[in-house]
This record gives sequence, C-alpha cells and structure tokens, in this order.
Amino acid sequence: MNPGQPDGDIRSGIGLLVKTLRSYPRYGVIAIAGALVWMVGVVLLPVVVSMVIDDAILARDRNRLWPLIAVLIGVGIVQAIGMGFRRYFGFRLAYRAEADLRGRMFAHIQRLAFAFHDITPTGQLMSRASSDLSQIRLILMMLPIVVANIAMFVVVMVVLIMIDPVLGLVASLTFPALVLNANALARRIIRLSFSVQQKLADLAEVVEESVAGIEVVKAYGQERREELRLKNAAVAIYEDTIQIARYRSTYAPLFELIPSLGTVAVLWLGGFRVIDGALTEGEFVAFTQYLAVLVLPLMITGWFFANLPRAAASASRIDDLLSTDPVIEDPAKPVPLPDGPGEIRFDGVQFAYPGGETVLEDMELIIPGGTAVALVGATGSGKTTVANLVPRFYDVSAGSVAIDGVDVRELRLDDLRSEVAIVFQESFLFSATIAENILVGDPRADERGVRAAARLAQAHDFICAMPDGYGTIVGERGHTLSGGQRQRVALARSVLRDPRILILDDATSSVDAVVESEIQEALRRVMANRTTLIIAHRTSTLALADLVVFLENGAIAGLGTHDELLATIPRYGAVLAHDDQRAPGGVR
Amino acid sequence: MRYMQHGSDSEVRDRSGLLRRAGRLGRSLMWPAIGAFTAAALGTAARLAGPLAVGVGIDRGVAEGDKQVVTTAALVFIVLLVVQYVFVKISRYGIAWVGEQYLLNLRSVVFRHLIRSDTAFYSRSKSGVLVSRMTSDIESLQEFAGDGAVMAVSNGLTVIGVAVAMVLVDWQMAVSTFAVIAVLVGVSVIFQRQAAKAYEQVRERIGRVLAGLQEGIAGVRVVQAFSQEQVQATSFGRVNEAHYRANMSAAKAISWYFPAVGFLRVVAIAAVLIIGGLRVIDGSLTFGTLVVFLLYLDWFFQPIVNLANVYNLLQAAIAALGKLFNLLDVEAHVVERPGAYDLADPVAGEIALSGVTFGYDDETMVIQDVDLEIPAGQRLAVVGETGAGKSTIAKLVLRYYDPQQGSVSIDGADLTDVTIDSRTDAIALIPQDGFLFNGTLRNNLAYGAPDASDEDVWNVLRAMGIDDWVRDLPDGLETQVRERGGRFSAGERQLVALGRAFLDDPSVIVLDEATSNLDPETELEVEGALRVLLAGRTAIVIAHRLRSAERADRVILIGDGRIIADGTHADLVESSDEYRRLVEVWERGMS
Repeated sequence: MNPGQPDGDIRSGIGLLVKTLRSYPRYGVIAIAGALVWMVGVVLLPVVVSMVIDDAILARDRNRLWPLIAVLIGVGIVQAIGMGFRRYFGFRLAYRAEADLRGRMFAHIQRLAFAFHDITPTGQLMSRASSDLSQIRLILMMLPIVVANIAMFVVVMVVLIMIDPVLGLVASLTFPALVLNANALARRIIRLSFSVQQKLADLAEVVEESVAGIEVVKAYGQERREELRLKNAAVAIYEDTIQIARYRSTYAPLFELIPSLGTVAVLWLGGFRVIDGALTEGEFVAFTQYLAVLVLPLMITGWFFANLPRAAASASRIDDLLSTDPVIEDPAKPVPLPDGPGEIRFDGVQFAYPGGETVLEDMELIIPGGTAVALVGATGSGKTTVANLVPRFYDVSAGSVAIDGVDVRELRLDDLRSEVAIVFQESFLFSATIAENILVGDPRADERGVRAAARLAQAHDFICAMPDGYGTIVGERGHTLSGGQRQRVALARSVLRDPRILILDDATSSVDAVVESEIQEALRRVMANRTTLIIAHRTSTLALADLVVFLENGAIAGLGTHDELLATIPRYGAVLAHDDQRAPGGVR
Repeated sequence: MRYMQHGSDSEVRDRSGLLRRAGRLGRSLMWPAIGAFTAAALGTAARLAGPLAVGVGIDRGVAEGDKQVVTTAALVFIVLLVVQYVFVKISRYGIAWVGEQYLLNLRSVVFRHLIRSDTAFYSRSKSGVLVSRMTSDIESLQEFAGDGAVMAVSNGLTVIGVAVAMVLVDWQMAVSTFAVIAVLVGVSVIFQRQAAKAYEQVRERIGRVLAGLQEGIAGVRVVQAFSQEQVQATSFGRVNEAHYRANMSAAKAISWYFPAVGFLRVVAIAAVLIIGGLRVIDGSLTFGTLVVFLLYLDWFFQPIVNLANVYNLLQAAIAALGKLFNLLDVEAHVVERPGAYDLADPVAGEIALSGVTFGYDDETMVIQDVDLEIPAGQRLAVVGETGAGKSTIAKLVLRYYDPQQGSVSIDGADLTDVTIDSRTDAIALIPQDGFLFNGTLRNNLAYGAPDASDEDVWNVLRAMGIDDWVRDLPDGLETQVRERGGRFSAGERQLVALGRAFLDDPSVIVLDEATSNLDPETELEVEGALRVLLAGRTAIVIAHRLRSAERADRVILIGDGRIIADGTHADLVESSDEYRRLVEVWERGMS
C-alpha cells in the first residue's frame, strides 16, 4: 500500500464492492426483491387511482368504488411490505459488510510489519477504517433502491407512453432532467465537502495548539493573536459553506420546478387531449401522480451515481490495504525453539530500511547467553536496528540472526516473541487497568505473579499509591502516568513474560534524578539470569552492562568493557549521553 | 471553591432561556432573517397557488372543453412556478447565510472566551473536551444551520400553508385528511423517540470503535511484541459487533416507519377518493377540486416526514448550544481590575512574595505563608522534590493564579493592580518543553514581539550565538515548524524558546527547566544563550540540575510548601542536610 497516494484505482474499487455484495447473497437478493415489489406497488398505484376516477367517480358508479378502493389499499400494503424488506435487508447488507470489513482491516493492520507502520501515518489507516468504510456502507445501502428506481423509471416510461405516447414522452423528459440536476448538485457539493472537512480539521488544529500551549499564550499575552488565527480559520470554513449554500439554493429548488413544469405540460397538453377525447380524466390524473412519485427516486439515483466514483475510490483504498503483504509471517514449517541460555548470534547481517540506505553491513556479533550487553552509538549508528532484528520485527536482507542456534526466521513468531521481550522507548499502555496491562506479558499469570513482576520493576509502590491501585485504569482514556511510571509498568509487563532475552531502551529521559535511580535499580534486578541488550543513552546505565558494543555507521567499532573502550576509543566517550531523538524507525 | 467551578455537561434545563441567549447573540442578523423568512412565505404562497390554477384549468377548461382556459391556467401556473423558484432561492440562501454568519460569530465568541479563561480552568478540563466544544459541538450546530434551518422553515411554512389551503378549498375533505395526518404525526413521534435512542447508542459505540481502532494502530508494535494480535482482534470484534447491533436497532426503526408512512399516504389518498369521489358523484364537489386535493396531499406528507428529521437535528443543536453556553458561563477570576495601571517604565524586575499562601483548591494549600524578595537582576534557582511547590511559585509570578492570602508584586506593584499587557511585557516564560507553534521559525521567535523587524530577530540570534544555526537551516528564518517542533531536537526547541523570550525583552524571566539532559552539542549552545539572555534580568529558574543551582546567584530549597533553605549553593551545601541529599542524587545521575 502506498500511503501517500490518496486516490485509488476505480476498477479495483468496483471489484471490492462487487465481491462484498456477493459475500452476502441472501441479504442482497431479498433487499432487491423487496425493492422490486415496492416498485410494482408504486407503479400500480396511479393506475388504480385512475381506474377509481374513470370507472367509479366519473362513471358515477358507486358500486365499483369500494372494491377499487380495496384494491388501492391492497396495493398500499404490498408497497409498504416491499419497502420494509428493501430497507431492512439493505441495512443488514450494508452494516454487516461494514462491520466485517472493519474487523478484517483491524486484524490485518495488526499483522503488518513494523516497516509498514513506520511509513504509514495513523491518520491514513484511521480514515481507511472509518470514512472510507462509510462511503462503501452508503453505496451498499442505496443499491437496492437504486436498482428499483431504475426499473421503475423504465416501467413508468413504458406505461406513460402506452397510455399516451406524446404526453408520455413530454412527461418523461422531466426524468433525465431530474437525474442530471441531482448529479450536478451532488458533484459540486462533494468537491466542497472535502474542502470543508479539511478546513474543519485546520480549525481544530488551531484550537488544539492554543489549548496545549495556553501557558505560552498567556505568558506572552498573545490571546488576541490566537483569536485572529481562529477567526481566519472560521472565515475559511464560512467561505466554503456559503458556497455550498449558494449551490443548494440554485439547484435544490429545481427538484420541484422540473416536475412542476412537467405537471404544467401534462395539464396543458393533457388538458387539450382530454377535451379532444384522446385521454380520460383518470389517465390525466395518473400522469400527475407519476410525476409526483418519481421525484424522490430520481433524486436518489442522481445522487447515487454522483457518489459512486468516490465510493469506488474508497473501496480501492481499502482493497489496497487488505492486499498489502504482512511480510513478516510464520514460516511454512516452523522449528521449535530449543531450551538454551539465550545466546544471540548475528552472522553476516546486512540490513536496510525499505527505501533507505544500508544501516548494517556484514555484521558479526555473538552475545553469550546470560550476558548484559550495552549498545552504544550515535544517531543512525544502528543500535536500534540491531535490537529490532532480534525479535524479528524486521527481516535482514542478508545473513542471519539466530537465537540459541536457530535462525529467527525458522521459528513461529509467537514462540520467538515469548522468549524475546522488548521495552520500547515510548512505553505504550492499553486503555485498561494497570494489572491488565502487566498481564499482557503473560495472560496466564495470577495476581501474585503480577505483583512480583511489579515489585521487581520498582513499580509496586507507586501503583499501590494510586487511587484504585492495580485496578486504576490507564492509557488514553484513563489516568495519565508519568514517563517514568509508564516505563516501569512496561518493564513489569516484560518481566512477567520471563523471557530468555530482554531488550531495553533506557531512554528514561523524562524523569527526574530520583526516579531515574529507582529505574536503574529496577533494571539491575530484572537483568539477572537472562541475556539483556540495552540501548544505552547515558553513562550510568553502562554500569549495568558486562559488555559494551560500540556501533558506528552500522558496524562494530569497539567491543569490550566500558573502561576498556573509554581508554582505547576517543569517539566513544564523545558519543555518550547523546539523546537519541531522531532514530529512523523501529524502537522509538 | 473558586477554582473548582465547573461548566457541567448536564442536560439543558432552561431551554427557553438558552434559546433567548442564543437569539441575543444573533441580534444583528434579525432583519436579514426576517427578510429570508418573508421570501420563504412568499415562495410557499406561490407554490400553493399552483394547484389552484390546475383546479381552475380542469373545471373551467377541460370540463367545459375550453382550450383557451386551459392555456391561460397553464401560463399562470408557469408564472407562479418562476415566482416560486425565485423566492425559494432567495429564502434558502438567506436562511443559510444567516445561519453561517451566526456560526462564524459564535466560533469567535466561544474561542475568545476560552482563550481568556484562567489557567485554572485549563488544568481541570480535559483538553479533548475543550477542543470538542469548538469542533464537534459547533459542527452539529452547523448541520442544523446548513440543512435543518432551511428545511424547518420551508417545510413548516408548507405544512401550514397546505393545511390552510385545504381548509379553504373544501373543509370536509380537509378534516378527513387531517385525521390521517394526526395518525402520521403520532407514528412519527414514536419513531423519533425510538430513533433518537438508537442513534444515541450508535454515536456512543462508534466512539468506542474509533478509540479501539486508534489504540490498536498506536500500540501495534506492543501488540506484535507480545503476540497479542488474536486477543486484540477478539476484543475489537466485541466493540465492532456492539456497534453493528446499535446500527441495526436504528435500522429496525427506520424499516417500519417509512413503510408505515407510505401506507398512510395511500390511506389518505383512499380517504380523499372515497369522500371526494362520493361527493363528485353527488355533484356537490367538482372533479377539479378533487384533483387539487390529491396534489396538495402529496405536498403534505413529505414535509411532515422531513420535519420529523429536522426535529432530531434540532435536539442535537440545542444540546450543543447548551454545552457552549456552559462554557461561556465559566468566569475568569484572574482578570484585569478596572482602574488597573501600567507598570512604571523602565521595569527593574524586583519580585516580592509577601505572606503568600496558595492552593489549587481551597482545601489543600501547596505553599504556606511564603515570604520571598528577589532583587532586580538576581538569578534565583528554585529547587526541591517533585510536587514541593517550585513551579507553583513560578505560576504565581506569571499570575496564572492569584494566591488565597498574601500578594505577589513586581517593582512594588501588586500583580492584581497592574494591567495584563504591561505585566506580560515585563515577564516572560520559557516552558519546560520549549513549546513551539506551527508556522515559521520567525513567527515563533517574534511571538511576543510581533512588530519586530528581521534585523531585530537577527540581532537577538547573534547575541545568543545561534545565528549560524539558523543560517544553516534549509529555509533559514522561514523554516516551517511542523508538529509543534517535533522535528527539532529538545535542545533546538529550547533555543527557539530562549530566542522568543529574548525578543520579548522582559525584565523578569521564568525558566522552567527541562528535566532531561539535552544532547551535548546543543547543551553548550543553550548554556551560552542562557548566559546572554539572563544577564541583567531577574531570573527565576525552576531547577532540576546541579549545574543550574551552581550557576545561580541564590538558591532556595522548597519543601512541603515552605522555603527550607535560602542562600548560595555553597552556603546550602554546608548548612542544609536536605539540600546535601538532593545534591547527592543529582551527582549520582551524572556519574
């Protein structure tokens, strides 16, 4: 999927729409059947009315009145039942398809590899799964009625022409006029709606920024400036919405004018023909009724075809997403991971981020099981990359990464990742309780296990101090934890997993000195009895490591203890305590 | 509880009061609104007259075999149609215009109130909620203004007009039609209630779906790292299904309502045909009148159904209005007193806190009875544990809050007596994360001094020693800052924040130090720039680092809301145990 490309290929979009329709044959068939029944009712109605008028009222025949009225009511019932089925199953089809597609997209997004997510903004994915999906839902919902409308239009044309060819043709001219009008209006409005959406988002951004930076705004007394920015954003919106109003006020009343002109034509020409005896009064009334009844359906049809390209584009974007290859998947014949101390072996590893330069070149590294290794290097030196290759978040372009003698590509991903845990730079917590977040590490653990892990990670104390303790809800919609607190919960999560290999990014850059030392203590305890890889940013962390790997431009420039490297490599000392803010991807 | 007053989201209790307030806001639009309304009425009148022409054309033309009358009737009808079109067009545009103008004004009014609210209000409100006031709440008003208002007026007038016309043409048939309409209204009310509940649920559940999506995308790396794909898919599936069920609830309501309406229309036609038909057979009604009635009938049904839809939009709009006016009701407490005077020029920058006791709520005091005199030009470091009250002192100096007791003054003038403009000119803030706005680098630097010339900006950059850095940037001063400066390093953002303060040329600087270490390259530049910036100005530094305390002229240690130690760094190391402990922790973090 190319996230930068907003528009899709119409054909693949229509393909997805058709495939979706075919996945729910029952709903589609019932909905369309209901629509056709409804249509028959709608078409018959004016005929029955004209019969009532001609054969009962104007023929002054009371006896015929009641049975014909009964037929009328009967037609009304049939029409209503048809509409009911049409709408209900139309909804069923549309909503079911929407829910299923959304579920599929969610599952697929979660399987797509890091490399994909590095270059795809969240907003793009969100819009695929929300506004693009809405477009598809709308089109599917409208499909039954549009099918019926088109059939109705054809049938009515035929009926009118059968009743009176000349009048029929004249009256029928209103139909395409209505459709074209709907189309013209819809096209213009669609274009502007996009623009309005964008401008609404711009305004939201101004508001968000002012709210987030309120302290700076107030400190510098710049309230008026922000007010002006907002006013400009509001005016921009106004310009678009007033233009929409202009279009609507011009085109929308035509939806009444056009059929009314049709009525005038019927009155005029039809009136003449009734006088000449070529047309009955009942037929005359039928004409006016048909004109009235077709207005809405024709508007809907016009709207439908105006929106179809947009829906197809949305569908093709979704199709694009769903057909993106996850890349990192379980091998066809997975090999079990044997017991072992957690030895990591990089053999001739070469790696480049997709579309980027080579980051690692022919890297050879053996980390014995149980060692604590610190990775040190300047931005772009490859330390984050090295860490990301071990749990197989990316695949190497050449060479191999092996754990306890097995190439990571030969392992089942679940097996691999249960023995390799990683604490990212930005610890993400789910919107759930603290306990639930820690349990992510091992869902089978019990409360004791969770507390033990939290204690080890130096998190137990502050968790207990929280309003609901372990039951406190954190994450987006919950309590906001400080950076250091989040880090420790994430650490507890990894500890609970009890992996063979632990990978840490020690960038606890948002904590103060006291908390920092607590975290260091936690790390020391957690690192015992397993292989640990630490992406080190500060000198104090290096005290925790047995071995330091100094990386420069994707190659190992030094390997030894901290003191050895300090003594032998001057660049090493210079690079320390560099806050790694601009890593190209991965562990962030 | 001054700072804890809350604009709550509770239901709109006083609806008429709300509408009156809303109306007052749109006072200036009264005449255009009346004009648009009048045009709508005229358009409706023209529309309703149409069928009458048809009736005459049939009775006196077709029935009498007089083609001349038919032609005249048709021409009159066409004229009426054109007149109708013109008036409808004017009224539709006019109503929309009034609505959009109102919204334009409302956006500015609400934002203005928001931006001038106390900092206290911001700290107790979720920013997401505030933003949604200005966005989704106003947008629901927009929907009403764009579509709903027009529909309400035109459909409302039509319904009234048709009802009147029907009664005038033939009251007996009118009554029978009204009977059917009554059933329609009853059915519509039931439907609206059902639908409103269902839609409320849909809105709530789509919110959860979107939140679930957002979270699933944001946390995908953690999900994969912990093999949570299946678990996530299952829990999202539940939220997804719940949304589907809510949608189907709404669908069920729609699927019985509209067919019922369609059926009622047929019943109404049948009623007209029976009652009218029998009377035509009797001779007490002309055929033309019957046709007129059938035409009017169609114009009766659709508008009522439309009005039912508008009712929903109206409800949403009123709810949104309620929330917005709640926001407008929040009073700012930190305001400029009438009769406030400007600080005397030049401002020396002497800061004094006398007997200051302050708490964010009236129950817990964060600082107690603090006396502090900072002579002009002194560089003061405020240190202490997290939550001890250091940033509180800074917030009082910046007058984000007023103390419960005591006073804060600058150059002897109480902050509450001084104009806001002169105070913000005199005191500048360098925040913790160097908050940058989207825009050019130049705009950010000149934020406090919008009249600054390019030369002024370069002078400042040169004085701070960072002009080379700016020149090396691809677009120099015009470099676009995006994502609030996310592409710059923390150190670089700090440099811009320093430059911003410099250009503001204040007498007092409040510096809220970043807790983390900056990258070593910019660390030196920041030190240098800071040295130049703080020279000759009073500086209150909320310090987190040993170096900052060492470099200050004076250090105060805050503990439990009081000043526990006060002196130079060297003094305090000797005299205060607590201070020594703090220094030890700092030193440990550095080794």
